[in-house]
Amino acid sequence: MGSDTFTQLVDANYASLYRFALSLTRNQADACDLAQQTFFIWATKGQALRDLSKAKAWLFTTLYREFLRGRRRSGRATALEDLPPDEAEPPAPEVDRIAALDAQIVLAALQDVDEVFRAPLTLFYLEDLAYHEIAEALGIPVGTVMSRLSRGKTQLRTILAQRDQAARDNLISFSAQKGRRTP
Amino acid sequence: MNNEQAKFILRAYRPGGRDAGDATFGDALRQAQADPTLGAWFAREQSFDATVAAKLRVVTPPPELREAILAGTRVSFSPARPHWRLPAWLAAAAALAVVITGVATYRLIVAGRSPAGLDRIAAFALVDPESAHTGPQASRLGAFGAWLQNPMNRISSGPPADLAQLKTKGCRAVSVAGQEVFEICFQRDGGWYHLYLTRREPAGTGGRSPVFREEGGRSVVAWADDRLAYVLMTGGGGVEALRRIL
Repeated sequence: MGSDTFTQLVDANYASLYRFALSLTRNQADACDLAQQTFFIWATKGQALRDLSKAKAWLFTTLYREFLRGRRRSGRATALEDLPPDEAEPPAPEVDRIAALDAQIVLAALQDVDEVFRAPLTLFYLEDLAYHEIAEALGIPVGTVMSRLSRGKTQLRTILAQRDQAARDNLISFSAQKGRRTP
Repeated sequence: MNNEQAKFILRAYRPGGRDAGDATFGDALRQAQADPTLGAWFAREQSFDATVAAKLRVVTPPPELREAILAGTRVSFSPARPHWRLPAWLAAAAALAVVITGVATYRLIVAGRSPAGLDRIAAFALVDPESAHTGPQASRLGAFGAWLQNPMNRISSGPPADLAQLKTKGCRAVSVAGQEVFEICFQRDGGWYHLYLTRREPAGTGGRSPVFREEGGRSVVAWADDRLAYVLMTGGGGVEALRRIL
């Protein structure tokens, strides 16, 4: 692969890979490391991939595997039996209120979703991969992807509602304090 | 299909997604069109998804990340030899070096962590596409070159290297992990070796105990002393060849 092709591959994918990595690692430096490690592996093994149209799926798959490898090393992997129970769909905050939230707050909410749900949920929102590719990347059946997606969205709604409420409480508290100080 | 089953399917529907036209969604979409309650729920769901996706797209990588990934091209690709004329393995090695340098450079300039250290230089040496005897021959480097080629000298005892002098003598210098690394080629017992040197301080994490690695038919050993950090590479003879002169 020439440097031009490599540059194109980086340009087309590094931002999405970084976002996926950031949702997984919850840490900017680790996300950067993970994204770079993914391209590092591409340079050593990705050359064998003849069909470049599959490069994107390959990169996401590799990034997720590297993330899991790191998790196994640190002994923090979430076992399937640790999956939280189903939750009833909570009332979501109004979309206008979510739209008004800072992107970092929404990202932080996404990062608080349980890991097993977070990975398919992030890939769902990134819209880079088709469902069968998400399933391949995560090593689970398509039906499981949809199931985890559904539960992940429920968690995300709950967390966003809490963040939204907290933001409103802070605003009220701030307004009250400001009011008291006014002569 | 009842509405709960339709919701389960519709939660996964992405209007702009690559599988939006998938038959899986067809029945559920029709049901949402026919049932006002389900339709209203679906509209809220779509709006929620679009908002979250838009927020996620706003998150941008650090501006240095891209350059850090690509930075190694300046080291890996010889200007005198276009990359498309390189043998496949060399091109792969060059691409590898791109990322190695990227990782290390990023760590230096973005994350504010300790410098990448000897492991990055060792990784570079393992794939350095220009290490095919393009560095100055030791015989041109005076006393230092003679010391390297003298079979009585153990390399780990601390070669009498003067980096400033190496620079003036046209020794090959590359930037790895943001630090200047010199490469010298020399021969011992008929075998070729490549010594990469850099200042200890920037290498930071380099340990005094030699650490060996083998990859792709190349072997390296990395160590450091008070002043300098070293990586010794050979393409033949493996780790044993390194141990013999270390």
